[in-house]
Amino acid sequence: MLKKLLNVVFVVLAGGLILSACQPAATPAPAAFTQAPTMEATLAPGSVQLVAQGATFPLPVYDVWTKSFQFVDPSVNITYAGTGSGAGKKAIVDGTVDFAGSDSVLKDEYSQVADLQMLPTLAGAVVPIFNLQSSEKDKDGKAITISELVLDRQTLADIFQAKITNWNDPAIAKLNPTAKLPEVGITVIHRADSSGTTEIFTNALASFSADWKDKVGAGSTVEWPVDKNGNGLGAKGNPGVSVAVQNTTNSIGYVELSYAVANKLAYAKLVNKVGKIVTANAASIQADMSDFANAFDAKLNAKIVDGGSEGSWPITGYTYLIVRMESMKDCLKARKTVEYIKWTLTDARATKIANDLGYASLPKSVYDLVMAKLNNLTCNGAVVSK
Amino acid sequence: MKNLISVANPIDNQLIKTRRLFTKITEHGDRPWNFLLISVSLLVIALIIGVVFLLWRDSALARTGLGWDFLKPISNASWNPVTGKMQAWPFIYGTLITSLIAIIIALPVSIGISIFLAELCPNWLRVPLGWMIELLAAIPSVVYGIWGIFVFLPQIITPLGNFLWITLGKIPVFQILFMGPIPQSGMSRLAAGIILSIMIIPTIAAVSRDVFLAIPKAQREASYALGSTQWETIWRVLIPYASSGILGASILGLGRALGETMAVTMVIGNSLEASSSLLRPGYSMASIIVNQFQDTVSSLHSNALIEIALILFFITLILNLVARLMVWQASKKFQKG
Repeated sequence: MLKKLLNVVFVVLAGGLILSACQPAATPAPAAFTQAPTMEATLAPGSVQLVAQGATFPLPVYDVWTKSFQFVDPSVNITYAGTGSGAGKKAIVDGTVDFAGSDSVLKDEYSQVADLQMLPTLAGAVVPIFNLQSSEKDKDGKAITISELVLDRQTLADIFQAKITNWNDPAIAKLNPTAKLPEVGITVIHRADSSGTTEIFTNALASFSADWKDKVGAGSTVEWPVDKNGNGLGAKGNPGVSVAVQNTTNSIGYVELSYAVANKLAYAKLVNKVGKIVTANAASIQADMSDFANAFDAKLNAKIVDGGSEGSWPITGYTYLIVRMESMKDCLKARKTVEYIKWTLTDARATKIANDLGYASLPKSVYDLVMAKLNNLTCNGAVVSK
Repeated sequence: MKNLISVANPIDNQLIKTRRLFTKITEHGDRPWNFLLISVSLLVIALIIGVVFLLWRDSALARTGLGWDFLKPISNASWNPVTGKMQAWPFIYGTLITSLIAIIIALPVSIGISIFLAELCPNWLRVPLGWMIELLAAIPSVVYGIWGIFVFLPQIITPLGNFLWITLGKIPVFQILFMGPIPQSGMSRLAAGIILSIMIIPTIAAVSRDVFLAIPKAQREASYALGSTQWETIWRVLIPYASSGILGASILGLGRALGETMAVTMVIGNSLEASSSLLRPGYSMASIIVNQFQDTVSSLHSNALIEIALILFFITLILNLVARLMVWQASKKFQKG
């Protein structure tokens, strides 16, 4: 009898412990969000659950945005999972998410779901990182590290196409007259996995060099000519490329700017389309975005590589959110999705979060285009936003 | 019956009643129990058939579109998903050669470890050492990869690769396997093979140790009685007796090496270089699938990746069958002689 009673007590205790672990942990409010919520509070807190997944490139920003929006509108609870652009695109086509994030543009998906719309949210830059030791040694006999490098658009494409294979090639030496470039081969490190970073980088190389566009092309995965030539290596993810470059002297690779800055990697300056030497930073990304303000098609896609103004960084790309313009089934969720995306674009706190993390926000002209699209989103025939 | 069992204690009476009820409910229990067990076993078989069927169906486009050319062992194979020209030989070669290196290194080491643990180890060391070896098996694959790229590759593999290039790489006979300087980061098929061997040693060693411990004492005693030394006993009596078990353990290890993904992807260099050398970066079947499956360019691309998964499945199956055949032959011979 006592044994039975003890068994019952244990089961109840165990069940209680398991159930209590299911409650979400309370996160403290970020500093800017301590004032009262500005949006309607007639809905119960957490009653609207928005689900999203997609690109990992803007993940640091999206993580903070989705948590912060809960303090602006407590009725909405958004989860964004960083599963990759490909998975995000597939999810919005299958209808398992309310919106998706992607670095790469939709192609065949429009034939499956006609009303998909890509909305640019942020822009990021890809930079060539390098590890270079000069041919002269210091007085202790140790090699001196070269910390600054200037490359040309054609030179960069030729390096990655295995046309330039030595560091002291005349093309590189011409751009860096004071550096004592070593007489060694270049080890080129590229991404092994499919990624939006590769897509932005290869789009840029295709714009820099007609031969690259013809022989290699652009995409999230390409067949790298340096592999066939024997001086290429594939590494996994931005961290993989970074470690491989750091561990290989006289090598070159490419990573996202926010990653290079956070890890203090040396990255090269480029001579852009109009002949000016530029370095990648928020200003040069903004300049490049402004160059292509009118280049958006109806689907709001734009390749913004190789901008034509003086200060623009040529290897830039947008990251997009993908929504369904007409076929969202739950109209309350559609309204909340539009409100969330509008908040990320209009609220100064949201912009500050993105800029602090190293991403550039939309210029005014692009912002207007995106807002116009959001104002036209309909559900069951009626426009959802006020 | 009730009259015979008259107990003064009401609680015992209750217990007997409950027990009788339980017996009554379960007295035909054998049949549903057998049914449950059989259906669980059939479920496992159904899962395997389901996996093969799905792999076969979802690789149809690639099998018809790319044909047998996909598997041809040529040296300058290309993998271009954009144009649609894809050949899988570099990946098949990479998986097979890295698993081969892994088993060549791991087998002698594991047998040595298991012999030490079973025969020669002092009692106080036996349990802690066995536990530590099993701990090696618990280390996640990704951790092996990270340790590899940060520590193992630059400090051990790169010097080893340079040494092999200077010595064996200059001899024409060995050049097919040891040609070319090793990349400075150490990323190569050799690195993948050695890390794989570290990963499969605990599997093979643990099972082999159990096999050795299961050999009846009579065998050892008979051998000593005939005047053998300890080493003669181990080499001539115990190892032949345990050979089928060791072979079984090696199959387990080989299976893990063939399918290992994360650690291999991080250290093999992921390059489609047209070289067969161990010292150059390569690619493996699991690596190409994990690298490219999330973001495929076309359905031909994703079907081709699924076909690679199908090939990997068949290679594992064939190697398993061959090994089981060898075990069966060995045990037959042993029973005869």
